[in-house]
Amino acid sequence: MESPTRSGSMLKRDNLTFGFPVFLLSESIIFVSFFATYALLRWKNSNWFPAGVSGLDIHGAAISTLILVCSSIVIYFAERSLDRHKLVRFRRLWLLTAALGVIFLIRQAIEWHNMPFGLDAGLAGATFYLLTGFHGLHIFTGVVLLLYMYFRSLTPGNYNLGHRGVSSVSLFWHFVDVIWIVLFVLLYVW
Amino acid sequence: MTNISVESTDDPPKLNPMSWKRYFSFSTDHKVIGVQYLVTAFLFFLIGGLFAMIVRAELLTPQLDVVDRSLYNGLFTMHGTVMIFLWIFPANVGLANYLVPLMIGARETAFPVLNAIAFWLIPVIGVLLLFSFFLPSGTAQAGWWSYPPVSIQNPSGHMINGEFIWLLAITISGISSIMGAVNLVTTIFQMRAPGMSFFRMPVYVWTTLSAQLLQLFCLPALTGAAVMLLFDLTFGTDFFSPFKQGDPVIYQHLFWFYSHPAVYVMALPAFGVFSEVIPAFARKPLFGYKTVAVSSLLIAGISMLVWVHHMFASATPNWMRVLFMVTSMLVSVPTGIKVFAWTATVWRGKLHFQTPMLFALGGVAMFLFAGITGVMLASLPFDIHVNNTYFVVGHFHYVVFNTVTMAIYAGIYYWFPKITGRMYSEGWGKLHFWLTFIGANLNFFPMHPIGLQGMVRRISSYDPQYTGWNVVASLGAFLLGMSTLPFIANVVSSWLRGRKASNNPWNATGLEWTTTSPPAIENFEEIPTVTSEPYGYGESHRLAVDPLSHLS
Amino acid sequence: MRTFNIVLLSIWVGVIIFASHTIGQQAYDWLPIAAAAEAEPVGHLFSFLVTLGTIVFLGVMGVLVYSVLFYRARDTSDAPAIRGNLKLEITWTVIPILLVTWIAIYSYNIYQRMNTLGALPLAHLHFVEAPAYAEVGNNNMQRAEQIEVIAKQWSWSFHYPSRNITSTELHLPVNQPVRLMLQSEDVVHGFYVPNFRIKQDIIPNQTIEFKFTPSRIGQYQLHDSQFSGTYFALMEASVYVDAPERYSQWLAETATRPPVPAANPAKSEHIQPPAMPLRSNWHTVPPAQPPLINK
Repeated sequence: MESPTRSGSMLKRDNLTFGFPVFLLSESIIFVSFFATYALLRWKNSNWFPAGVSGLDIHGAAISTLILVCSSIVIYFAERSLDRHKLVRFRRLWLLTAALGVIFLIRQAIEWHNMPFGLDAGLAGATFYLLTGFHGLHIFTGVVLLLYMYFRSLTPGNYNLGHRGVSSVSLFWHFVDVIWIVLFVLLYVW
Repeated sequence: MTNISVESTDDPPKLNPMSWKRYFSFSTDHKVIGVQYLVTAFLFFLIGGLFAMIVRAELLTPQLDVVDRSLYNGLFTMHGTVMIFLWIFPANVGLANYLVPLMIGARETAFPVLNAIAFWLIPVIGVLLLFSFFLPSGTAQAGWWSYPPVSIQNPSGHMINGEFIWLLAITISGISSIMGAVNLVTTIFQMRAPGMSFFRMPVYVWTTLSAQLLQLFCLPALTGAAVMLLFDLTFGTDFFSPFKQGDPVIYQHLFWFYSHPAVYVMALPAFGVFSEVIPAFARKPLFGYKTVAVSSLLIAGISMLVWVHHMFASATPNWMRVLFMVTSMLVSVPTGIKVFAWTATVWRGKLHFQTPMLFALGGVAMFLFAGITGVMLASLPFDIHVNNTYFVVGHFHYVVFNTVTMAIYAGIYYWFPKITGRMYSEGWGKLHFWLTFIGANLNFFPMHPIGLQGMVRRISSYDPQYTGWNVVASLGAFLLGMSTLPFIANVVSSWLRGRKASNNPWNATGLEWTTTSPPAIENFEEIPTVTSEPYGYGESHRLAVDPLSHLS
Repeated sequence: MRTFNIVLLSIWVGVIIFASHTIGQQAYDWLPIAAAAEAEPVGHLFSFLVTLGTIVFLGVMGVLVYSVLFYRARDTSDAPAIRGNLKLEITWTVIPILLVTWIAIYSYNIYQRMNTLGALPLAHLHFVEAPAYAEVGNNNMQRAEQIEVIAKQWSWSFHYPSRNITSTELHLPVNQPVRLMLQSEDVVHGFYVPNFRIKQDIIPNQTIEFKFTPSRIGQYQLHDSQFSGTYFALMEASVYVDAPERYSQWLAETATRPPVPAANPAKSEHIQPPAMPLRSNWHTVPPAQPPLINK
C-alpha cells in the first residue's frame, strides 16, 4: 500500500486519504437503510417485543457505549503520538484501542448469549441481531485492522513516508463508533 | 488476437507486457481491465439476449407453447438481471476504466488492485446466476425487482435455492460496483493532469463521475435490502413479511431508492459517449459545454428523489404520489438540456456519417422518444393506467437498449482504433447499425400500443387481441439477435487483421488521442499540460494541450 | 431571403402544430374504450401529453433530420467553432420548466377529480377479525355499493356483504359509485381494469379502499397487475357493468345458489401441466384453495 511506484507515488498515497472516506460514506448508506427500515417498522408496530420481554438491557449497552467512546479518545491520542514520533507510546495506546474493541465484542457476545429471544422472534429479534451483528462485524474488522497496523509499526522506518494507513484505520474506528451511538439511541434508548 | 502487440510506426517497441495473454491475467492496468470488462460484459449480453429471444418466442402466440410458466418467469428474471448487472453496468465501467485515465491525463487509476478485484467478481456473479438454472428449485423467478412476499415463498424448501443465489449475486455485484466506484471517483478527483480543471474535463468524465457518485450513495440501499430479504428467505425473519409485523412496501422503497438512480447510472455514461462522438463527427465544439457538464450532476441529484414514481399504484399516500410526480417531472429539465445541446451541435456542423456517428444520432433520436414517454409516465393519473404494462417495458427498453446500448456500440466503434490500434470495417459497421436500429424499433415500439391497450408485463400467455403487435415485437427481437453477428465478425476480424490505425484517426480532440494507438503501458510518454476547454473543433488550439510542457 | 426563411419556418411550425394536434386527437383511440367516469379525464390528459410530446419530438427531430440532410461534410475541414449561446441555453431550460409545471398542474387536477382513494390503507387487519371499514364515512358515498375483493394465488373472488354472496365474476351497477375493499391473502397483487384506467396494488394483510364509478354497460377484463408468481398470467376475472335492474336480478339469482368451489385454471394447470418443448420441472407454489362461490 505504501510502496512508491514508478509514477506519481505521492499522488497515489493521497488517494487513500481521499478514497477511504468516500468508501465510508458509501458504507454508511447500508447502515442508513437498516436504520430506516428499523425505525419505520418500529413506528408502525405498537407491541414490539415478544411476550414477556419489556426491553433491552440499556445499562449494559450504556457501559459498552462508554467503552467505545473511550476507545475513540484513546485512538485519537495514539495517532497524535505518532505525529510527534513517540512510537512506543503510539503502540501502547494503539493496542489499548484494540483491547477496548475486544472487550466490547466480548460484552456483545455475552449479551447475545443471554438474550431472551432469538433471531426469528418477530421484528425485535430480527432487527436487534441484524443491527448489532452487522455493527459487530465492523468492530471485528476494525480490531483486525488495528492489529495489522500494530504489526506493521514494528517494521523499522515504516512511517518515513507518513502514516496514511494508520489515519485511515483511525477514521474507520471513529466511524464505527459514531454508528454505534446512533444504533444505541435507536435500539436501546427508543 | 496475437497481432495486437504490433505497435503503430511512431511508437517505441514494447516488450511482452503487450501480449494477448494479459487479458486473461489478474492485470492492474486500467486498459486491460477495461477490455476485460467490455468483452466479459458482451458475452453476458449475448446470454441475456438469448433469454430475451426465448421469452419473445413464447410471446409470438397468445397461449403458452414454448416454455412452462416457471421457466418463463425464470427467463425474464434472468434476462433483466443479466442485462443490468452483467451487461450495461460492466460495459459502462469497462469503457470508463479504459477512457477516464486517458481523458484526464493519468497514468493509471487510483486503486489498481481494487479495480482488478472489482472486475474479477463479475465472472463470479455470472457463473453463480447461470449455475442456478440447474438447481432443483430452479433459478430466481420473482422478476428483477424481487418483491416480497413472492420472492421469499421458496416452494422447494431448500436453503440453496434460486432466489438465494440471486440475492448473493446482487450483493456481490454491489460490492464490485462500490469498489469500482471508489476507484473511478478517486481517480477523477485526484489524478487529473496539470491544468485539467473540472471545467476542462470532457463531458464523458463528468457523466462517469455523476454515475459513479450515484452508485456510491444509492447502491448500498439495495445491498441493505438484499441482506434483509436474504434473512427473511433463509433465517425466517420477517422484515418484509406482511402476516407478521413486517412490511413489504419498505422493501419497494429501498429497492427503488437505488433502482431508479440505477437507470441514470446506465444512461449518464451513454450521454457522455454522445457528447464525445457528436462533436467529433460534426467537426464542431459541443454546444453549451458547461451546462451539459453541470446538468449531469443535476440529473444525478434529482434522480435520487424520484423513486416513488415506480410505486404510484402501490400502497403510497396521495401526498407522496403528488410530490414524487413533481420531482420526476423535473428530471426532464437537465436531460432536455443535453438533448438540445447535441441537436445544436449538429446544427450547421460538417457532418461525417461513420458508424460511431450513426449509432450516436440513432441513439439520440430514440432517446428523445424515450424522454417524451418518460415525462408521460411521470404524470400520475396516466401512469396509474400504464403502470406495470408493456408501455413501461417499451419506455425502459428505449432507454436501456435504444439509447444506452446504442451508445455503448457508438463508444466501442469510436474508440476501437485507440483500444486495438486497428480500424474496424466501416461497411460491416453500417450494416450492424441499420440492423440494430430497425430491430430495436420493431422490437420495442410495439410495446407502447399494447401497453396502452392494457397488456400487463410479465405474463406468459395473453389475450389474443394483443397478438399483432406481439408478433412484430418478436420478429424485431430475432432481428436484434441477428444484428450482433456482423458486429462480432467485424470486431474479431478487424482486431486480428484490420488496417493499422493512426494515433488520431478521427482527428478528434481529447487527451486520449494525443497518445499512441494502442496506448503504451502507462499511457503517456510525458504527462500533458492542459491549457483550455475540451472540444476545440474549428479552433487553432484544438487539442488543448501545451506541446511545450515538460512536466512530470 | 430572410423573409423567405421566416415564411418557411412559420409554415414548418404550423405543420408541426397541426400534425401534433391531429395525432393528439388520434390518441384517444389508442386507449381501450373508456368504461368508467375516471377514464374520461385520463383520456384528455393522454391526448394532451401526446400533443405536447409530438410537438417536442417533431421539433427536435426536424432539426436533426434537416442537419443530416443539409449539413453533410464536403471536405475534412472543421465547422465554425460555436461554443454556445447563453440566451438559447436559458431558453431551453426555462421552457421545459414551464412545460413540466403545466403538465404537473394539469395531472394534479385530474388526479384530484379521479379521487379513487386507493392510496389509503384502512388499517392493519388480521384475517380472523371482521374488516373494520364501516367507520370510514364519506357523505356523498353513502349509497356506494360495497364489495370485498379477495385476491390470492391465483384467483379473484368478490364478496357482496349486503347479500352475503361470493362470485368469481365482478358485477357492478352502471353509473353508480362502487367501493371496493381490496384484500390479499398471500402476496402483493394488483387490481387493474384497463377500461377503467385505474390500478391499485393490494398489499397482504391490509384492506385498501378503492372507489370509482363504472359508466358503460359491457363485459371487461380484470388483470392482476403486480407479478404474483408462477400462474400470474392466469389471474384474470370478468367484470360486468350491468344496468341497475340486470344487476339486482344477478344479485338475487346468485343468492339462491348454494356455495361450491370455483373452477380455477391455475389449479387445473398445476395438477396437469401442459406438455411444453422446454420444461423446467422446478418447484412451484401450489395454488391456494379455490374460493367457494355461489354458482
